[in-house]
Amino acid sequence: MLKEVHMPKLSPKSDEYFFGSWLKEPGDTVKTGDILFEVETDKVISEVQSQEDGVLKEQKVAEGDSTKVGDLVATIEVN
Amino acid sequence: MIYIPVDTLDIYHNFALEYYLASEKRFSEPVFLLWSTTPTVMLGKYQDALAELNLEYIRQHHINVVRRYSGGGTIYTDEGGYQFTFIQPDTQQMIDFKAYINTIATALNQMQIPAIATSRNDLTVNDRKISGSAQYKHNGFTVHHGSLLFNTNLEQMYDALHVDNLKLRSKHIASILERTINIQTIRPDLTNQDFAADLQQHVLATVTNLRTYQLTPTDLARIKVIAKDKFQNSQFIYGHTPTTELSKKHYFKGGGLVKFDLTVKHGILTELHLSGDFFSSIDQYLLAKSLLGRPFRPDQVRPILIQQLQQQPILGISADDLLALLFS
Repeated sequence: MLKEVHMPKLSPKSDEYFFGSWLKEPGDTVKTGDILFEVETDKVISEVQSQEDGVLKEQKVAEGDSTKVGDLVATIEVN
Repeated sequence: MIYIPVDTLDIYHNFALEYYLASEKRFSEPVFLLWSTTPTVMLGKYQDALAELNLEYIRQHHINVVRRYSGGGTIYTDEGGYQFTFIQPDTQQMIDFKAYINTIATALNQMQIPAIATSRNDLTVNDRKISGSAQYKHNGFTVHHGSLLFNTNLEQMYDALHVDNLKLRSKHIASILERTINIQTIRPDLTNQDFAADLQQHVLATVTNLRTYQLTPTDLARIKVIAKDKFQNSQFIYGHTPTTELSKKHYFKGGGLVKFDLTVKHGILTELHLSGDFFSSIDQYLLAKSLLGRPFRPDQVRPILIQQLQQQPILGISADDLLALLFS
């Protein structure tokens, strides 16, 4: 089954974040709690963890792009 | 709260100390550090060194370059400034600056320095910035660090962070230029040592259950490894930006107009085009060939430019002139 990963709200002040970098690539196994990617907002670097166990299927946002709360960021294939 | 005395001005050690405390030591209580640096420029995590730094000035003045794990803009620090750090386990995923900023603002106000927190989480006095803060969240811990200008060399700050690009294209976080002031102009009666001691005393006075922790030889050995692997790593410092497209142009009196168009990928020069109305038989292809594929930094480019211009001089323009154009 395919699960969608959406951008969580990280800042009380802003809903638009700078997408910093991917820490998992398509095909990588991910476990709950693994860091998937990193974003910057309001001078803060935040790590976003996986809520699923599975395999990262697709990255929907590129490094350096701007991303909004709720945007589809990735898909994870879970068993 | 745990207070850890920091007795080195080495930025690589001090950033490694923060990282070590958050990633490996992981005290359950908040940690407070107060420290300083030798002349240093600190890039935010997702900033482009070529967009923010006058690398030729920095080379000439032996200024350290480091990339933070936190976000935000580039700052310049030296022995005339102080850095404060709070490290603690996360209580929530949501970002919060207020508690940290307020602790410092309250201490400063008790020292008759009328600091006000702004919406950008800076501290200002009379609308001039004296302090900026940034954070990173790592593995369930928050590292909040900030700078305080006490009697920093503001001229050197300006020169190190002033760079002229005719054109610049890269995906990065850009710095915001703000008007700054040194705290010593408000409290000229204080020496650096007075200021640091007073600030430390006022911050720690707000804390219950304070204890001091001295770093052990085991701690210091790990910090040394982290400093070398992470913060002194030139690939992390200079190779972090995926692609930068740059144009640089200058008219040299007695030499003519020189224009460079170049592309740098992860710190490596991948395209170079030289144009202008200078007088030289320099072979554009050979110049590009000698530089492409190498790290695009003054210390790496300088010997090659010197060698190339020895063979094919440009009338009225030296290798150092070209270096200044490329990196200033």
